[in-house]
Amino acid sequence: MELVITGLFVGVLFGFVLQRGRFCMNSAFRDIVLFKDYALLKTVAAAILVSMAGFAIMELTGVITLAPKPLWWGANILGSFVFGIGMVIAGGCASGITYRVGEGMVGAMTAVLGLTIGGYITAWGFLKGFRESLQGSTKIMIGEANPTLSNLLGIDYAVLALGIFVVVVVLWFILAWKKYEADKGWGWLTTGFLIGLVAIIAWPLSAATERNYPLGITKGWIVIAKKLLNLTNSEVQLGWISWLIIGTVVGAFIAALIARELKLRVPPIKRLLITFGGGLVMGFGAVLSGGCNITHILSGVPQLSLGSFLAGISIILGAWLASYIMFVRPMKEAESGE
Amino acid sequence: MTEEITPTKTLDVCGEICPYPDMNTMTTLKKMQKGDVLEVLLDYPLSVERIPRNLKKQGHKLLSDEGLGGPNHRFLIEAYGLK
Repeated sequence: MELVITGLFVGVLFGFVLQRGRFCMNSAFRDIVLFKDYALLKTVAAAILVSMAGFAIMELTGVITLAPKPLWWGANILGSFVFGIGMVIAGGCASGITYRVGEGMVGAMTAVLGLTIGGYITAWGFLKGFRESLQGSTKIMIGEANPTLSNLLGIDYAVLALGIFVVVVVLWFILAWKKYEADKGWGWLTTGFLIGLVAIIAWPLSAATERNYPLGITKGWIVIAKKLLNLTNSEVQLGWISWLIIGTVVGAFIAALIARELKLRVPPIKRLLITFGGGLVMGFGAVLSGGCNITHILSGVPQLSLGSFLAGISIILGAWLASYIMFVRPMKEAESGE
Repeated sequence: MTEEITPTKTLDVCGEICPYPDMNTMTTLKKMQKGDVLEVLLDYPLSVERIPRNLKKQGHKLLSDEGLGGPNHRFLIEAYGLK
């Protein structure tokens, strides 16, 4: 019962912040090359830094035990690169499409359906063997531990994380504070801070239900699918992360309702098929790499996990490649064509 | 005030997913003459915030942003006119 309540609670907070802050890593990475728009990228950076400081303090005080994801270089590079391509096709990252389900975006619903199916077959279906062999054959450890910047350099995690936090914040104050102006809406700093705060709250509550990790998206959806396929089997249960996802959709729904942004929006049919396909690719990539953008970039990078760094870079490169092919090149051709 | 402006062209991107509202707006504006007014009808909240932010970089001018209830917005944009 505890996992239902705390999962839903954190999920509602997460969904509310995602919707009001328009938090989407697909936009964050794609908009750099497409519009030279850096607003959401700054939000992502702020969220990572705030989480990092929070995780470090919680680790120092014994509230949490770090749980960096494994480094499977082959699976991280291939899975996350493909995930990055998929999210551009789907029109949103794992968290972006999830909160937009609550807003009533039908294109996001088909993307989530694709994500769930793609993830399911890679986790438990016919791609399971391929996934396990690629993950197993490219796994690297440092001693008995999953590699992090901290155990690579031999510096205590809390010291290193807080050090990075302080250096970046000080540099930002020196270089950019005067140029800071609030955007329309919540603004990147507010959103980034609140997303980081949700991640900090999430971790100990999730760990209390024996899932020792902060936020995630994809696993939550595929476990919901598993339960729906095994309704009568009481051994298949929704875990904390699935309740988090249900809460996230509800939270985004509430936020959209309050902001009067709730509307069932249906794009052209062709677009629905494309976002479904993009979702399939995302699901495959996320499960192969051991997580989506939330698991790796938002939750793993603040733990200084090397697997998550590799996954994060691969997601960005995949997103840039797909953005160039799908949007940047056609835009240039359209402009020079006439 | 905005009723007095007659748009040269109308673009309806309601229902569209990210980033089509922005992209279609930008590519349409680039093909318009200087001083032409583009009317954009949209209902995607992220684009409602992002389009005004990025218009300025291209030299276009947002004449008005009218809320039409719910997430629906009507933008009137004056093209910078490279053509």
